[in-house]
Amino acid sequence: MRECADIERRLSRYLDKEMNDADRAMVEAHLAGCPLCKKEMSELARLKGLVMETERKTLPRDYLVCRIRESIADERRAIGRLSLAGMGIFARRLIPVPVAVIIVSVVFMIFTSMQPVTKSSLEDYIFSGRAATTETALELILGSQN
Amino acid sequence: MNEDSLYIEEFLNGDEKGFEMLVRKYQDRILNIIYSLIGKDRESEDIAQEVFLKVYHGLRYFRRHSRFSTWLYRIVANTAYGFLRKRGNVVGDESALENSVTTRKDPRESLSMKEREAMLQKALARVPIKFKTAMVFKDIEGLSYIEISRILRCSIGTVESKIYRARQFLKDEMLELGGGSV
Repeated sequence: MRECADIERRLSRYLDKEMNDADRAMVEAHLAGCPLCKKEMSELARLKGLVMETERKTLPRDYLVCRIRESIADERRAIGRLSLAGMGIFARRLIPVPVAVIIVSVVFMIFTSMQPVTKSSLEDYIFSGRAATTETALELILGSQN
Repeated sequence: MNEDSLYIEEFLNGDEKGFEMLVRKYQDRILNIIYSLIGKDRESEDIAQEVFLKVYHGLRYFRRHSRFSTWLYRIVANTAYGFLRKRGNVVGDESALENSVTTRKDPRESLSMKEREAMLQKALARVPIKFKTAMVFKDIEGLSYIEISRILRCSIGTVESKIYRARQFLKDEMLELGGGSV
């Protein structure tokens, strides 16, 4: 009986032709003299046959390809929307900063280009030791109207 | 370089047709494996799609130490297992088969091919997936024990044991449903 239990466990492997010659010969020798194991073997073989012969399903050639293409396109659209939404948050927060910097710079450049060149610099004025009023300092920085 | 490697190269070089050729080549095999594992038509198609999407996104990370099919079958097994686990059912789903199977009252009554097929699907759905996967790879896909051991990342002895257990389960379920004979 113990031998039968051992053989029974090996029957699947025997059935699947996954045994070496020595083991196969041993199983075959046992089956030749054991009707119970032989019956078990034929039941397993019928069962394996049933599974192997199950009706196979087939899909139209491009059915899955089309579904996958759509799914990938959906994923890309979703990623795109996510990126735009993310950009929106940054845009709302950050875009006014460079815009303001550009406007201030342009105004400053226009304003300074309209001023005549000063005859003396702020440094000359400071080193001369004369007292400077705010008005004089601004005149020296931005350019004298005279 | 084999056919799969050529398709993979094409895809990695930016030609999506390479990927589509892989889908066309494997779609029916994958569908039949998944159907045998989970037993549902519509959901099998959805899972097959999910498998190929994983392939699409993961192909650039596929290290070619193993065959593409081994890697693909591993994704199939994991995705099907994940699907059943999400549903809290790692045995399988026989509810979809309830209406299609008529249990025989008289064991002497012979079964038509269609009835036998339906009964087999119902019995298969009752086999725990941890055993069934190896048997499906063997009997549906015709893979060798060594290939199955690579897919499931286990020893050949474990594959043998899983297939043996799956067939025992299946035989018992068939006997129960069929009222006496396999």
